[in-house]
Amino acid sequence: MKKIVLSSMVCAALIYGADVLPVEKRTFDQSKFIPDISLVMDASYVDRNVKDAEVGHLEVPGVAHGLLGSHAHGGDEHATYNADNGFNLNYAELVLSSSVDPFFTMDGVFHFSENGVHVEELFFTSNALGHGTRVKGGKFNSNFGYLNEQHHHAWDFADMPLVYEAFLGMHGLNEKGAQIQWTAPIPFYFMAGLEVLQGENEQMFGKEEMEMVDNAYAPTATEEIAGSDGVSMVIAYIKASHDIGNTTLLGGLSYAQGDSRIDHIDEHEAEEGHAFSGDAKLYGADFVVLHQLDSYSSIKWQSEYLQRELDGTQYAYNATSGDLMQPTMLKEQGGLYSQLIYTHDKNWRMGVRYDTILKNDVTNNGSDVEQPSGLDKYTAMIEYHTSEFARFRLQYSHDNAMFNEDGEREKIDTIILQANISIGAHAAHSF
Amino acid sequence: MKKLLTLLTLLPLTLLAHMNIAVSYPYIGALTKTIGGEHITTTVLAQGNWDPHFIIPRPSLITKVRNADALIMNGGQLEIGWLPPLLNRAGNPKTAPSAPTFLNLSHHIELIHKPKDVDRKDGDVHPDGNPHFHLDPQNILHLAKVIKEFLISIDAVDKEVYEKNYATFATMWQAKMREWEQKMGDKKGLKVIQFHDNLAYFNKAYGLVNIGTIEPLPGIPPSSKHTMNTIELIQKENPCCILHDVYHSTKTADFIADKTGIKIILMPHDIEALESIDNLGALFDHLTSAIK
Repeated sequence: MKKIVLSSMVCAALIYGADVLPVEKRTFDQSKFIPDISLVMDASYVDRNVKDAEVGHLEVPGVAHGLLGSHAHGGDEHATYNADNGFNLNYAELVLSSSVDPFFTMDGVFHFSENGVHVEELFFTSNALGHGTRVKGGKFNSNFGYLNEQHHHAWDFADMPLVYEAFLGMHGLNEKGAQIQWTAPIPFYFMAGLEVLQGENEQMFGKEEMEMVDNAYAPTATEEIAGSDGVSMVIAYIKASHDIGNTTLLGGLSYAQGDSRIDHIDEHEAEEGHAFSGDAKLYGADFVVLHQLDSYSSIKWQSEYLQRELDGTQYAYNATSGDLMQPTMLKEQGGLYSQLIYTHDKNWRMGVRYDTILKNDVTNNGSDVEQPSGLDKYTAMIEYHTSEFARFRLQYSHDNAMFNEDGEREKIDTIILQANISIGAHAAHSF
Repeated sequence: MKKLLTLLTLLPLTLLAHMNIAVSYPYIGALTKTIGGEHITTTVLAQGNWDPHFIIPRPSLITKVRNADALIMNGGQLEIGWLPPLLNRAGNPKTAPSAPTFLNLSHHIELIHKPKDVDRKDGDVHPDGNPHFHLDPQNILHLAKVIKEFLISIDAVDKEVYEKNYATFATMWQAKMREWEQKMGDKKGLKVIQFHDNLAYFNKAYGLVNIGTIEPLPGIPPSSKHTMNTIELIQKENPCCILHDVYHSTKTADFIADKTGIKIILMPHDIEALESIDNLGALFDHLTSAIK
């Protein structure tokens, strides 16, 4: 008897469940309001002539260390893109976007990786002010320069240009804050923008308090370097563009200024690591020329020059005595990348890139610290697109900019086979 | 004094009345200019000889949208890959899709070939149906009316001008349509091949039958396997010709023609697609004379 009741109940539930109302008849159905959703995966196979264990300890002398590979930082395992030899799952990027109301749109960009979820961007935008004005608030990629605003999968190479990665780290200027941009009411494109940001870039900007001991081997006191509260970074830029027939020229000048706190010091590893506290300024100039041969074929030349000035105090332990040294430090460094991309048709694209750090002036307590020259990198790539939604890229790079902990140059040859696949809403990239 | 007063009250009206209307494609620009006459200026965003699906969103286009008083687009997802970032960057509430000064033409047309299931394994499909609806001359007449009503809705003062311009256009166009009908009369039932099905509405209007496309699926470039199948299909079905758009390379079509002897006819899809085509009438004159 129990069995019959039970089975008839199951049957009833099944019948009831099967009788799903069509979408248009569901009284409180909200499925039409689902935002545009897309998911982009980026995976790669890497073959690098340097061991994974070593690559994380390499540095661009005087500029940055720990650019490649994965390393533990503040307790988190933190991996750069294409970190390891062999297969890498760089991320799954989930993008949600929709109108909020007649005045706002909202976009969210989330990076899922094996280490967790990272809010890449989350912002609202409004055009409602009119007069060519657009405002944005939340967390977003700054519009500094040309490349910075683009997501990784929109880049023409699997890795970031050397100067960007060395100065700003692999996320570039990705900050919480507010942005206002104004397009001028004139016949050609002229845009001016201002951004007020929290200023938390891991490589160059920052405002957190730092703590260190006065001697790494026999600490007697704790040294505290005060942080600053609130907004600590301002970015401004202008961009202008002009068309000559099928050729588009776009140029921009950018400036960023903020506090700088770099905390890579650890008394347990007194011989390496350092910290820096001071002011940071970053100047950028970018220039892009795109010549369209037909609807599917084009040649694009893209170059950016970045220069920075870090002015403050460096903290490092003396390797023998363990004493905390606090020399004044001035870094004036500049670098550029220049790349040429040929799009043959909807299937094939290819390109080359040249990277260099061409200015590396470091002054310690008023005296010059000699830095090696010839910090450059050469990259070539070829892409095959099966459709607009799937791209396979083979990239080779030869990097002369990396040095090991003994101060010897480590020439790095890297082959990356990258797969970038997307599903869902159609992506529309801006220029 | 009275004169001055009327002048003063009319001045802002005339200033208002002259509108700068941004449009996505040249055919929309021509239609809008025909109806709007002296009261409007049109700014066309896409060049007519480009693939309408793939327009590079040059920064100059942002400025064009920024300076517009209204925007008219084709819709049906034809602009999905390039117009959204322009609207987003222009900072112009008048070109927001929710604004009364924004017109999506596809909302006023019954689209054909709307897929029952939408899946990208079937290529880069248009979920709302085939968006190349302006290539049916009957639709042009209807769109002229839609644009007329749109212009009146945002500038009621010049209603009579728009009504008159529309009436003139409609009379001219109807005469033209009879002429084209006559020219195409003996083409009914003719089988054709295309690169991409962008002549679907033209074919429907004149009874041409599209039996295949050179691209295996929408937006997917030709493959050798599909090309061999197309050659087989041509040998079996004996279509009159390949109606080829101006923006794809004719390389594959040339190969097919070489193997089968089929004719390739270049079919402009919009004004400026070929140099000789500088107005809407000329576009259909050309299309209806192309198949001999």
